Amino acid sequence: MNIGGILINKEIPTELWEKLENTRAEVCGKDEKILFAVVGDLTMEAKYGISLLAVTEQRSFAMDADGKLLRAAAHADLKKAEVKRMYGNARLILTAKDDEKIEMFRFTYAVATLCDMAADYITKISEGGDAARAYDAVAAGYEKAMCVCPRCGRKLLHPGAECIACQSKGKLVKKLAVYVKPQLPNLILCMLLSLAGTTLSMLQPVATQTLVDDVLLGDNLSRLYGVVGFLLGAQLLRHIIAIIRSYRLRVSGDNMVYALRNDVYAKAQKLSMRFYDKTSTGSVINRISGDTSTLQSFMLRLTQEVVVQFFTMIGIVFIMFGMDYKLALVTLVPIPFTVIGSKIFGKKILPFYRKIWRRWASVVSILTDTLPGIRVVKAFSAEARSGDYFKDYNTEWLKVDKRSARISTAFPTIVSFFNACGTLLIWFVGGIWVINSGGADLSIGTLVAFISYASMFYTPVNFFANFNDTYQHALSSAERVLDILDAEEEPDRGKGNCPKMRGKIEFKNVNFSFDRTKMTLSNINLTIEQGDIVGIVGTTGSGKSTLVNLLMRFYDNYEGDILVDGINIRDIDLGYYRSQIGYVQQDSMMFRDTVYNNISFSRPDAQVEEVFHAAEVANAHEFIARLPDGYDSMLGERGVGLSGGERQRLSIARTVLMNPRMLIFDEATASVDSETESLIQQAIENLISERTTIMIAHRLSTLRKANKIVVLDKGEIIEMGTPEELIAAKGKYYKLIQIQTMAEQAEADKKEEGFE
Amino acid sequence: MARNYVGGDTVRFTRKDLTLVDMEYYDGTIVTDLEPRRLFPVSGGDRYITLLDKKGKEQAIIRDVNSLLPESAEIIRAVLREYYMIPEITAVLDINEKYGSNTWTVMTERGERTFQIQNRHSDVKQLYDGRILIRDTNDNRYEIPDWTKLDKHSRHVLNSQI
Repeated sequence: MNIGGILINKEIPTELWEKLENTRAEVCGKDEKILFAVVGDLTMEAKYGISLLAVTEQRSFAMDADGKLLRAAAHADLKKAEVKRMYGNARLILTAKDDEKIEMFRFTYAVATLCDMAADYITKISEGGDAARAYDAVAAGYEKAMCVCPRCGRKLLHPGAECIACQSKGKLVKKLAVYVKPQLPNLILCMLLSLAGTTLSMLQPVATQTLVDDVLLGDNLSRLYGVVGFLLGAQLLRHIIAIIRSYRLRVSGDNMVYALRNDVYAKAQKLSMRFYDKTSTGSVINRISGDTSTLQSFMLRLTQEVVVQFFTMIGIVFIMFGMDYKLALVTLVPIPFTVIGSKIFGKKILPFYRKIWRRWASVVSILTDTLPGIRVVKAFSAEARSGDYFKDYNTEWLKVDKRSARISTAFPTIVSFFNACGTLLIWFVGGIWVINSGGADLSIGTLVAFISYASMFYTPVNFFANFNDTYQHALSSAERVLDILDAEEEPDRGKGNCPKMRGKIEFKNVNFSFDRTKMTLSNINLTIEQGDIVGIVGTTGSGKSTLVNLLMRFYDNYEGDILVDGINIRDIDLGYYRSQIGYVQQDSMMFRDTVYNNISFSRPDAQVEEVFHAAEVANAHEFIARLPDGYDSMLGERGVGLSGGERQRLSIARTVLMNPRMLIFDEATASVDSETESLIQQAIENLISERTTIMIAHRLSTLRKANKIVVLDKGEIIEMGTPEELIAAKGKYYKLIQIQTMAEQAEADKKEEGFE
Repeated sequence: MARNYVGGDTVRFTRKDLTLVDMEYYDGTIVTDLEPRRLFPVSGGDRYITLLDKKGKEQAIIRDVNSLLPESAEIIRAVLREYYMIPEITAVLDINEKYGSNTWTVMTERGERTFQIQNRHSDVKQLYDGRILIRDTNDNRYEIPDWTKLDKHSRHVLNSQI
């Protein structure tokens, strides 16, 4: 935000403003204006507390919450400023012209981004850069950093974006209503049926009363036929209704869970890579398979039984009060116990449900992690160990589940005990009245009917008492399902914007870190002309793949801009954008489907002969033709049955088929032997023609066609130019070339000597 | 390259900076500006400290800080304390769930702190020994050394999160 012309990240109390102004006057003199300030959260001794960093064009100073000036430095005396990231905290360190270090400011990662910008600004100014331009960069940074939801304070993707957490955080019921709505007619029908059924069953005690008082005590045989006949009819009708209702209900429930599951899965496809970096697939699977079912039964109970039981309860209360209000009051005695008990129970059980789920999710995670890696487990004879590992987690689950069982099994029994006591109480009190009054105040029939009503009354009471359990269970399921339904989708604010692409790529001041602890890419500036073949080299962990991940828009939370043909890629329709890039990865994933479908995955509407052509370009057609099942060959989970090189060629064929404008090869030939490599290499060269191509490679031989080489080291570009230029410069690239030539020479020598 | 393990019988340390030390072998060789870092920041404590030079290259490993001369050990510990800021939570004052994000207010040995947790399932990790590791939305870390030893209110507040 901008307060009084000063950019600042947080509102501060007026008195602190005054102190800041006083300190400014003291340090800077009259005319110097503070441009921006960072409200920090640590003291220099790393205790929590407010501190302030203020920057004017000429100097920077830091002060504490009491307004005491801690340090000040004139930019003219400085060489550079940098942020030193540590673990959980970071420092802004200034280096003076005489190499003296000034510890300027200490902070947690909460304000690290702003301090990065401050460091940039100070460095630019001390190097004599353009102050206005440096300030613009800071202002833009502040705007972005301050772009938070006014309600919940979460960071927004871009200014003016809707807060995903707030916009739709309605009540649980409201959320699920979407799935209930289409089933509404069916559900209302079921409800009416069930009310009819309940009414029928409510008639029964009345009939019992007649049976006892008039028929049995009155020795009236002909009325016996009538009453029994009536009851039989009522029972028959009740059960027919029950059949229809159960069927209808099951279908509605299935429809609901079907829609919910589809939505959750579809949403899971659209979630960002950031989500999957932090969430195990096991837990996502658990949500789609388990939690949706819990919700289904919950929604059914909510829309059906709750309503029905409620009406039953009210109806019976009326009948009972009509029959004998004193006895009715006796019936109500156990209710307060049940209500209070259920409250306590709900509070106790919810944490357990969450715990159980969390333990269970870890168990499932192990399944999804280790079963695909069964080969590794066997190769290291780790079957037993793997089993124990699983057992450990499963034991954790068991422990918690047992503990929750203690509560959740005891509770319903306790409630029904209360209710049983209630029934006994009626027998007792009613019995005394019947005996004392000789049936005048209360007939035996009424007492018997009353007992039946009381037990019918306690059913809904039981239900509502236990409903809390279901509710809490469903609540924890709902939270997790909504976690996915509400999670941020991959941002696509340029939806519908599909400009024709030629393939000029620019990276402008791109900085990126997966978490704030370490910069994975810093200060990337790179221009790739249309049709360029660019080789990116560097040691592992130097940020090559990350660079490509950003270009693919797998991560959107980087600083700076990436442009294609001068358009910010964040402004382009995401689906369209990705369809313009062919991305061949090192380990290409094949789906459990036929070879044909695996190739045409990139363009399901492709003609058969187009698929053949793609396979041909990728040097894959011949080996596919040799397979017994040809294009119909089924591939396993990881394409079992094909070699790494063959899989790789299939994935190239996939890419050929989509005919992209830009190509990215991420170590496409890293895991294959040199003969296969040359086949793949040939396939790649077939594909490249005129397309902008980025190749990440370990083997520099892969890059012989490249007209531009970018050398990355620790997330920074250290060399860039044509291969000839870089060799002439004798830098890192030159060294890499030398090492590899030597290795190749050694290989060739070995061959010559007849060693394999 | 063989690891260069050092201990109190081979080297001593002098402090250079908030997070840097100089290492002097007893034969007089001095390696300057080393940054001690934990190889096991989560589980290890004082064991296996790597010493990185300015280029981030490892110069030596201390197997156990306790094996150093007392002054050297104190220097290494002090430097690590500065580098690794994982405040110990001594009391959980409040956890407020609103709009799907959890705001924790806690007391740490460095003062009171309020932070947000993005995802209860992945950002709050409970270890077997009672430790709880917490990561906030800004990737700052916090630790509860043993949650069973917290006061009753804290455990109650925490109970729904673990």
